[in-house]
Amino acid sequence: MDRFSKSSRWIALMGRNRAYGIFGLITLTVMVATAVSPSFLAPANVNDLLVQAAPIVIMACGVMVVILTAEIDISVGSMMGILAATLGVLTSPRHLDWPVPLAALAIMGLGAGMGAVNGVLVAFGKVPSIIVTLGMLTAFKGGTEFILEGGWITDLPEGLRFLGTGSILSIPISVGVALVVVGFTGWLLSRTSFGRRVYAVGSNQTAALYAGIPVRWVKLLTFTWSGFLVGVAVLVSAPQLSVIDSGFGTGYELLVVTCVVVGGVAISGGVGTVAGVVMATLLMTMISTVLIFLKLGENATYWSRSIQGCFILGAVLLDHWLRSQKRGWGRGES
Amino acid sequence: MKKRSGLGLILVGIALGVGCGGQPGGEGPEGAAPGTAGEDRKVTFYLVPKKKGLPYFSSCAEGARAAAAALGNVELIYDGPTDGSPEKQAAMIETFALKGADVIAVSPNDPDVVGPAMRKAREKGVHVITWDADGVADSREFFVNQATAQAIAYGMVDTMVRDLGGAEVSADVAIVTAYLTAANQNIWIEHMKERLASSASQLNLVAVKPSDEDQKLAFSVTQDLMKAYPAIKGFFGISSVSFPGAAEAVRQAGKTGEILVTGLATPNSMRSYVEDGTVKSVVLWNTAELGYLTVLVGEALATGTLSAGATEFDAGKLGKKKVEGDQVILGDIMVFTKETIGDFDF
Repeated sequence: MDRFSKSSRWIALMGRNRAYGIFGLITLTVMVATAVSPSFLAPANVNDLLVQAAPIVIMACGVMVVILTAEIDISVGSMMGILAATLGVLTSPRHLDWPVPLAALAIMGLGAGMGAVNGVLVAFGKVPSIIVTLGMLTAFKGGTEFILEGGWITDLPEGLRFLGTGSILSIPISVGVALVVVGFTGWLLSRTSFGRRVYAVGSNQTAALYAGIPVRWVKLLTFTWSGFLVGVAVLVSAPQLSVIDSGFGTGYELLVVTCVVVGGVAISGGVGTVAGVVMATLLMTMISTVLIFLKLGENATYWSRSIQGCFILGAVLLDHWLRSQKRGWGRGES
Repeated sequence: MKKRSGLGLILVGIALGVGCGGQPGGEGPEGAAPGTAGEDRKVTFYLVPKKKGLPYFSSCAEGARAAAAALGNVELIYDGPTDGSPEKQAAMIETFALKGADVIAVSPNDPDVVGPAMRKAREKGVHVITWDADGVADSREFFVNQATAQAIAYGMVDTMVRDLGGAEVSADVAIVTAYLTAANQNIWIEHMKERLASSASQLNLVAVKPSDEDQKLAFSVTQDLMKAYPAIKGFFGISSVSFPGAAEAVRQAGKTGEILVTGLATPNSMRSYVEDGTVKSVVLWNTAELGYLTVLVGEALATGTLSAGATEFDAGKLGKKKVEGDQVILGDIMVFTKETIGDFDF
């Protein structure tokens, strides 16, 4: 009896937050990868993994807040593309040659503005967010082509490249920025009245309205926040590469939404934590690296995507199982 | 009331989405009414790339425009899908045929998907040719081939062998490709493996990884491969997107000079890597000449100066080109190095 309740308590702890379940899966994955190839835990690899995850974490912090209000933002992939193209045109000496700080401000402002357009259409135009952001996904894509005019930006200034490749106190800039964004989003959601309103709107919109919460403004703000963070993510990720091409960000909307949902944020709104989303993003970015380190041979290339899918399903099923254990335990007590 | 305005906005959203997506059937700059026979009847020529917005295709189009200007009787319209979708490409070809095209030159994204539209256009009397990438044999009259797949693949392996120090040097190498389903790349990979296994090289291919035409993915895949296989001394980036991504990963890892990257891309995107030594050779063909030759071949078909069975084609300033069966061959690959890359700007 004693032993049983001890193990169920452990399961209950695991089940309380999806972050624990995913953390377990991450630990397992790291152990397997390190056993096969000890260099997996080398500082250089950990550093590369964090740099790779940083822009996705930043965008996921925006999209999760939108999903918490029971809306969705799938325009972020193309928004990334159009903002990266704009950033390139603004800073490249062959084009407008703006100073980098000014261009950076412009990109964050533009991102917030694009998010606000989404927000206005959803909150005040009463158009379903899936339709608004799907339309924007395509519109931004067209805009990117228009800005780049069939060319790529190949002459990014050094000052801009530093944002993507530089470090301060040996912390890569992108990772530092991601930490700040995660901390701020966590604080926003758990310690402020805005955060409580976000959860309230997502849990029960009608009740939130009756409680006097300005639902429309809350939604407008969440979309603006999401757009702003796309701008931030672009600033630290586009200059990682020497070329800005028209395909930048393609498909990231799906990746970001996957990270948010695997991280335990309910697509129906009202439930989810930043910790879960961060863990899920780390897991998602790790998978493809792990598959390379496992050296499964050339044929594995063809089914590596299936393995990625199984990982996602595995994480969600594990979480589901842990939750049901917790529920069972809770019933047993009462 | 509110509901109605909501519906209106939905429709606007959808229209926006559709309108900006494919831009199918974009009118040519002059919007000429093709097929209207005048005294100086022009050949209406549609040049269709795999994807509009890639500098590679834009530079081919430059050459095509030069050819149209030189010929004088060609109305050239350069248009294709902006997202590289074969379905959109097929729809556009059907539209062009309906609009009275005389010649449609296609670089098919997927021969099987685009093939039926090409055949349909042929039935309408349009001369259909392929360029850059081939289609199904009966869907086109000629294929304007930049260089044989074998020449491109062997060229990449041979430059890698040479740049690494010669045929007796043994080392691990890896390929970062576009999509696993990309027809061009897959044929090259076959020929590259053949060459790598021959006595011309002691190189050992340890991995072939897709980058899904995403530079960031090419970058991270290369990072991972370098760490997982520390003996790798060379990377092949065999698409214009995977090549700069792979080179950037090598440079950021501080392995410039230790690990070489070679592959296919336009010179501008690789210039800084060639200058700092991460890349010694960029392999490509003369893209402007490919566009030029394509327009000449199409025009010759439309005016009847070229027909099946020819063994040689007079390509004006490009000289005489070999015709092998139903392929007009532009020539050989071009290798850009530190010494020569300064002469090119595309």
